[in-house]
Amino acid sequence: MRTLLDWLARIWRTDFLSAFGLAMLGLLIFLGIFGQWLPLGDPTRIAAGPRLGAPSLAFPFGTDELGRSFLPRVVQGIRATFLLSAIAVLISACIGTVLGMAAGYFGKFTDIAVARGADILFAFPALLVGLLVAAVAGPGQFSAISVISIATLPLLIRVVRSVTLSVAGRGFVIAARVAGASWLRILAVHILPNVMGAVVVQLTYALSIGMIIESALSFLGLGVQLPDASLGSLLRQGSAYLTIAPWMVLSSGAVLSLAIMSVNLVGDAVRDMLEPLKGRALT
Amino acid sequence: MRLFLYLLPRLAAMIVTLLGVSILVFLSLRMIPGGYADILLGPFVTPAAREAISQRYGLDQPMALQYLRWLGALLQGDFGVSMVTRQPVIDEFIRRAPVTLELALIALGLALSVGLPLGVWSGIRQGGRRGVDMARLVGALGASVPDFVLGSVLIFVFSVWSLWFRVGGYVPFGQDPVGNLQTMLLPALTLSLFGIALVLRTTRDAVLRVMTEGYITAAVARGERPRDIVRLHILRNAAIPVVTVVTTYFGFLLGGAVVVEVLFSVPGFGLYIFNGLLNRDYAIVQAGVLLAATAFVAINMLADFLYAVIDPRVGASE
Repeated sequence: MRTLLDWLARIWRTDFLSAFGLAMLGLLIFLGIFGQWLPLGDPTRIAAGPRLGAPSLAFPFGTDELGRSFLPRVVQGIRATFLLSAIAVLISACIGTVLGMAAGYFGKFTDIAVARGADILFAFPALLVGLLVAAVAGPGQFSAISVISIATLPLLIRVVRSVTLSVAGRGFVIAARVAGASWLRILAVHILPNVMGAVVVQLTYALSIGMIIESALSFLGLGVQLPDASLGSLLRQGSAYLTIAPWMVLSSGAVLSLAIMSVNLVGDAVRDMLEPLKGRALT
Repeated sequence: MRLFLYLLPRLAAMIVTLLGVSILVFLSLRMIPGGYADILLGPFVTPAAREAISQRYGLDQPMALQYLRWLGALLQGDFGVSMVTRQPVIDEFIRRAPVTLELALIALGLALSVGLPLGVWSGIRQGGRRGVDMARLVGALGASVPDFVLGSVLIFVFSVWSLWFRVGGYVPFGQDPVGNLQTMLLPALTLSLFGIALVLRTTRDAVLRVMTEGYITAAVARGERPRDIVRLHILRNAAIPVVTVVTTYFGFLLGGAVVVEVLFSVPGFGLYIFNGLLNRDYAIVQAGVLLAATAFVAINMLADFLYAVIDPRVGASE
């Protein structure tokens, strides 16, 4: 706890962008979790204001074509976008860690099979996988989650595999094996803790990729379906009224971009902390 | 010879990857609820008609045999027939190839011409705080603003004030070069933002990493001019990761930037595949995913080749 506070204090003084990212991410997660109980207005109440009303004090993000206040809709959207991406990325982190460690530790056929499988998955452009999954399973949240998992899995497998490879030959692993530890124990006790740092760094990037994919799918109408709100489906809703009521696209687009950016900035900060890269200036 | 020995196993891996891709695509489309006959004939299909269709397309045969026949047809350039137009889908992809290629090349050109200099500059001047923060901010912004958000904002701005650009209404380059650029620059710009951020970040990281190497210290100690150090020592050694992300990015662009093409009504691969999905014309989706994955794998092969050209050490031990 003490070190965490120190770290936060140091970041605030020395690294404004990371601090901004942390603060923004904290705010968005707070809104995502508690936003539904905040007095922001009812996201489902029709004709709460004028149709396609411009932003005002009562409706900070304006109103949509049914006169619903757009701000609480955006807050709902934050929740859906974060939740779907986080679930998907966690799934791919679990699978990726297991497969990556197996490939790096057992080598030989396991390694070839896993590495090739990762290559195959990596060859599919994420959104085309989205179209394919939508064709097979129909559009919806399940499709969005599986597409994000498929798209981010190869990234995690590759990172975990390469870290495992570098750790597996180190003294403490060989010592454990000589002492008679089972492969399960070696993987869980000796290798997993060394892999976790890389996984966490990769997770933040995967989360931002996941949020982009989720919102793009929902924007195309293949992810979260209206009337459910995700930041992507709100953009889809707003894009029909882009020229007469631009605030719908602008507000949900800005919040989405800020959300992804805060995840990226926090990812940078975490990476710098876990994998410091000491360099010097030329001049 | 060195190059050949280095590329041979990669070529084999590429073929295995493509086979895996084709198996996945084949299986996924066989999993569509209803099956081919029902999609083709609609809800009022009679058992006899379903039987006829199954026989005609060989759907009653074992899965493995179906796959092999399908693969054999693919290798002869038969990617299936559109259910709507009854034309081979590959013809339509070939017709649209110049559009997607042009979009990809403009976006790539923009990404490189902005991302590379900024990345090298911010990597070398890591001491200057403000410059670094600027580079990080541009990198974070570019990686964070999704293409459809940027595209929507651009469409809003340029449909209210047209300025010089046009939104939608594609014309081929051969017919009207200026009109073509008027419609293509906005989608290309939209696509390039992510590329700029990607190239910038990767270049900066690579340059930072190279700067910690002993030979840079040695070059500084020898008193070489900073310009020469950058040109001779840093750029070439930092090139490999940059080549990796640039080729990956280009492969992604070739696969058809679905969202941007849909948004700006650019008649390339992405729009075609998306409309194919909406029409339940799955031959198009299937061919599109296969072509995109093949392009991606081929581009990666090109990257492997470039590594060996840039860095003589690559493949030397094999």
